[in-house]
Amino acid sequence: MNNGHFSRYAPKSSIDIGVFLCKCGGNISDTVDIERLSSSIDAKVVKEFENLCSIKCQKNIRDIILEEELDRAVIAACSPITHEKTFRNHVAPLNPYLLEMANIREQCSWVHSDVDKATDKAISLTNAAIERVKYARPLDTIIRKTKKSAAVIGGGISGITTALSLAKQGIKVHIIEKSPTVGGNMIKIGKVFSPEKLAEECALCLFNPLINEAVQHKNINIITNAELKSSIRKTGNFNLLVERKATYVKEDKCTACGNCTEVCPVDVPNEWNEKLMMRKAIYKPFPQSVPDAYTIDKENCIKCGKCVKVCAMNAINLKMKRELIPLDAGSVVIATGHKGFDLKKRPEYGYCRYEDVITQMELARIMGVNGPTNGKLLRPSDGKIPGRVVMIQCAGSRDDKPEGKRYCSKVCCMVALKHASFIRHYYPDTEIIICYTDMRTPGMYENYFRYVQSKEVKLLRGRPGEIFNKGDNLVVRVEDTLNGELTDIETDIVVLSEAMEPSEGTLKVAETLNVGLTEDLFIKEKHPKIRPVTTDVEGIYVCGTAQGPKDITESVSQANAAASKVSEIINGGLEIEPTIAEINHSRCSMCGNCISACKYKAIYMYDEHMSVDPVSCTGCGICISKCEHNAVEIMGQTDAQIHAMIYGMLKDKKDDEQRILAFVDYIGYVASDNMGINRISYPESVRIIRISSINRLMPKHIMFAFENCADGIFLGEYPDDIMYPAIQEKVHEIRSELIKNSIDPDRLMYYKVYAPYFRGLANKLIEFDKQVSKALDKLEAVLYKASSKDL
Amino acid sequence: MKKIPDKDILLFKSCLVNVEYPGVESSTKFLFDKLGIEYITSEKQSCCTGLGHYADLFDQFSTSALAARNFGIAREEGHKNLATLCATCYAILKKSANILNKKDDVRNRINKIFEDSNIPDLTYNAEDMDSRDNIFHVAEILFNKAGEIEDLVEIDLSGFRVASHHACHYCKVHHNDTIGNVRDPMVIETLARACGVEIVEWYDRKTSTCGNGFRQRYMNKELSFLVTSEKLISLKENKVDILLHMCPNCQLQFDRNQKVIGESLEVEFNIVCLNISQFLALALGADPYRVVGVQTHTVPVEPVLDKIKQINSCFEV
Amino acid sequence: MKTLKIGENTLQLAKIIINNLKASEDLGILKCIQCGMCTSICPAARHTDYDPRKIVKRALDNDESLILDDIIWNCFYCYTCHSVCPVNNSACEINQIIRQKAIDEGKGKSKVAPFSAYGDSFLEFGLGAIPNNFFDDLVKDYGKEWLELKVSLEDIREELGLGHILLPKKEINDINEILKRSGFKKRLEIIRRGGG
Repeated sequence: MNNGHFSRYAPKSSIDIGVFLCKCGGNISDTVDIERLSSSIDAKVVKEFENLCSIKCQKNIRDIILEEELDRAVIAACSPITHEKTFRNHVAPLNPYLLEMANIREQCSWVHSDVDKATDKAISLTNAAIERVKYARPLDTIIRKTKKSAAVIGGGISGITTALSLAKQGIKVHIIEKSPTVGGNMIKIGKVFSPEKLAEECALCLFNPLINEAVQHKNINIITNAELKSSIRKTGNFNLLVERKATYVKEDKCTACGNCTEVCPVDVPNEWNEKLMMRKAIYKPFPQSVPDAYTIDKENCIKCGKCVKVCAMNAINLKMKRELIPLDAGSVVIATGHKGFDLKKRPEYGYCRYEDVITQMELARIMGVNGPTNGKLLRPSDGKIPGRVVMIQCAGSRDDKPEGKRYCSKVCCMVALKHASFIRHYYPDTEIIICYTDMRTPGMYENYFRYVQSKEVKLLRGRPGEIFNKGDNLVVRVEDTLNGELTDIETDIVVLSEAMEPSEGTLKVAETLNVGLTEDLFIKEKHPKIRPVTTDVEGIYVCGTAQGPKDITESVSQANAAASKVSEIINGGLEIEPTIAEINHSRCSMCGNCISACKYKAIYMYDEHMSVDPVSCTGCGICISKCEHNAVEIMGQTDAQIHAMIYGMLKDKKDDEQRILAFVDYIGYVASDNMGINRISYPESVRIIRISSINRLMPKHIMFAFENCADGIFLGEYPDDIMYPAIQEKVHEIRSELIKNSIDPDRLMYYKVYAPYFRGLANKLIEFDKQVSKALDKLEAVLYKASSKDL
Repeated sequence: MKKIPDKDILLFKSCLVNVEYPGVESSTKFLFDKLGIEYITSEKQSCCTGLGHYADLFDQFSTSALAARNFGIAREEGHKNLATLCATCYAILKKSANILNKKDDVRNRINKIFEDSNIPDLTYNAEDMDSRDNIFHVAEILFNKAGEIEDLVEIDLSGFRVASHHACHYCKVHHNDTIGNVRDPMVIETLARACGVEIVEWYDRKTSTCGNGFRQRYMNKELSFLVTSEKLISLKENKVDILLHMCPNCQLQFDRNQKVIGESLEVEFNIVCLNISQFLALALGADPYRVVGVQTHTVPVEPVLDKIKQINSCFEV
Repeated sequence: MKTLKIGENTLQLAKIIINNLKASEDLGILKCIQCGMCTSICPAARHTDYDPRKIVKRALDNDESLILDDIIWNCFYCYTCHSVCPVNNSACEINQIIRQKAIDEGKGKSKVAPFSAYGDSFLEFGLGAIPNNFFDDLVKDYGKEWLELKVSLEDIREELGLGHILLPKKEINDINEILKRSGFKKRLEIIRRGGG
């Protein structure tokens, strides 16, 4: 139809192509007439071999390429999935990407039995490869060098664990912690429960050794009072800007003697102790803080200067400014943790109204030895020991109403039991009633549940609706659903088991790093089952409660997993195939359509240019459809190559022959090979073309196929979560284009392919082949009728 | 928060306001005029069927058909934003709008009825009325103008302890559209604060129903009064002088039954029940009899008026 | 002791409720795990044997005796349960739906008959009003002043600058036509007669 020139990169007038045919020990030559195939091909060199994959043949090919001064190579043999990599090396000294393969085994000799038809198909498959290879360009593997450093955002148990694991693998780690001390939520909770012990362990005793190790490790740098301000992503590396608050205290000079705090006149509610007591404007969050230094709270400091006068080390400088610290990191791990649900959103529980309604975290602080009451369980209102404690589960969790969290916060049942056990042990006269809907203590935690029940903790099944006060006491109104009685429980203290939600830092960091969030606003993993701890941005990982509600045991596991992932890219290094998007900067108008279209967040702006991250880019081609300036190409899958392949597949088509082009993605191709491997037949009309994704195709390619006498177009792709909506749109777009051009849409079919369901694929191809015949018969009838009318 | 309009408003009349507390309507009009809110009323508008609907007399289909008629009238009059004086109307109209928009078969049947009844102009097309964007309560319209109200206050009402009773059918039925927290909306408080008055922000049973219970007041009077007593007792314990309402149903329950309930408990309550519109109108200098309509109240409002006069010499009764 | 036989559709009543016109789009009756939050704040549950959680359980258990049970006539329609239910269920709506079934199938008619006058007022004026059969009782509770208010209503309304209450004749006619075709008129008669 046309002379086969498809791009401005027109090949030089004569390209010397060598075609190497493999008999595959009879696997191919038993069905495909290799001699006829050989004589039907137009190329400078055409040679037949028994077994192309043998070492002897490798040498043969090399010799032929050198002697005949060939520019390109085509190998017609088995599936590229089996041996493409091997053959790419075989064609040296030619660039490995100047090779094209034709699959005449799995997709020809193994699925067809008619020798003539099979040979015809093999000829067209080889021709297609020849046409395509004319437009191949030399490409080089991309070697990705990642800096041997990581930034961990958040210095809690997850952050510290990740940092230690990375440091031990020789990677430099910067821990960026928002508050004046590391430790996060774990050091606030006093006691922790364990899956194996029927006793509670001291959180600080478990955590401190890790903190110390982190502080002393030469590969770890801890920056407290710091937040991530901005991040610029550049192929595998992150240029981070960290802002360190002005704390007015020189950390390296401060000996934490405490003289300053004694003279400070400003009282501020102590957040570390859940605002149950006061601190000064110059303070250390708690006695075992790390770093062991004081901090001045800028918002409340009145700059009276009293502390400066008593500081023997001259460590206070009230003129200190905030610091901007640039960091280079190969990877980022988000370990920003969680916060407790704000019980103001459930006013019926009276959290803001009654002093004696508290959260589990507040209870933890009260019972903590370094807390506001030095560890004594005392009522906030009058300081007396309570006679009864009522705990209310699911406060804010499992709640579909506005502002409620619909999920289960996972740890609250165990937390309530832990506190109940503790209280029963130290205050045997204090009664505990837990109002629950379900007690969720999975796995070995069930043993702990039984143990705590035996300590006389009363369980009442019912979800309370309100709390009100009666004199000095509180009353919890609940229905005891197990006996159907509406019950008023009088009590001294109510403890609400508050839901766990993502911390403010988590939301902020997600925005700064452009990382996706789930519907519940936790950091979203690429795939929770097979790609955990990975976010949708290459190089950024997540662990701990920033990813979702979980206990410390799980957090530590996840933190180690994240470290392992970081180590994979930093230590393992990466060789990336160059078949990715490339941007022509002279055509690019910086409109940004490609950035928003890319589902893998592979395109980003850097230094006033659009850049492609080779690790994230899958070469799917969505960006090309959205670029209005033709500024993007996929290397190794250019428009020219696609057109050439289509042309080649349809070349020399006979009048009574039916040819269907089947464009399939990688999974589709594997399924197609599987048909061959299992010797399942389908019509010879089907010619399979591998593409990165249906999204690479545009209506122009399909129309080109029809203009070149294609009878039907089959599109097969795995319905990946991320890509599926775009695929549907694309199919719809193509279908509309057909209708616009008066082509029967029955000649187009889209099928969801799954690798193991190759039988389904075969059946679909058989069905489609018939459908196309019918459509063509209909067309013929219409044309005949029209022409006979003219008579 | 949803967007609240200040024009193209059809002030939706209420059957109970009409005959029990007409002052609520005149106070609202007074306020709307002062705030420059553009509105009309329509003599064609029918009752929403609220009381009959929740007495189980009216079925949902008939109620929705009449709602469609009212929506058609609002459209005809070019004033598509409905502002109700009563919370029951608010909930009923919103529910009907949702049904008409989502249930094609119901909508088609109702349109056929309009056609057969020779009133094809009222035909309702899907999305003609949006529950969230077109149907409001008067208190929300005023809430939107709280800042301006503050500037227009003429009368000092600071001598009173005031509490709110947020109508259940405003906050609980369509909870996604309630302003503030469904469990404790504070719409009335925000408006009261604009008048500079002392508010009892919480009292026991604050979020409980008034006790009217639609059929319960008539068929189960004892039960109904037990629930209302809970509220009255709590209000008394908190020394509340004025209870602010946003629905004539609740106002009726608290105002008219107060004496009888008090007698059975041997307690004197003397809690004046004013609709928030009436209260704001007083604060903005409206005449208590010619605008606010206090003469229709059962619990005498005169003591409140006297006290106001003591503080505000300019206050004319 | 009860046996659940194969083939007995135990969620039938629940499905009928979900498909009823009165049911909210996302009515979570199937997600109810009987947590009891609805009962804990229900005004009727505080003072009677009525228990919204149990009502929902009976509906989920396909217990048809619920329809003829007097207990469902205790709900206040205050929607508090509706506003707190963590799975978006609504005992309030379920009650409304079951009461309609009671009216359609039997003794519900006598429960609603006392309110028939409301329907009459609607058909005559296009306006709802408290049924006049309750009048005497109300006068006793509300006092004579209330009666006087009724008598001088027109004057008071005029003083307040408000117009007439009544709708134009054409509109009332339209309303009647609509209510005839919607089936309401017939329903009113059936209910009134069922009141005995």
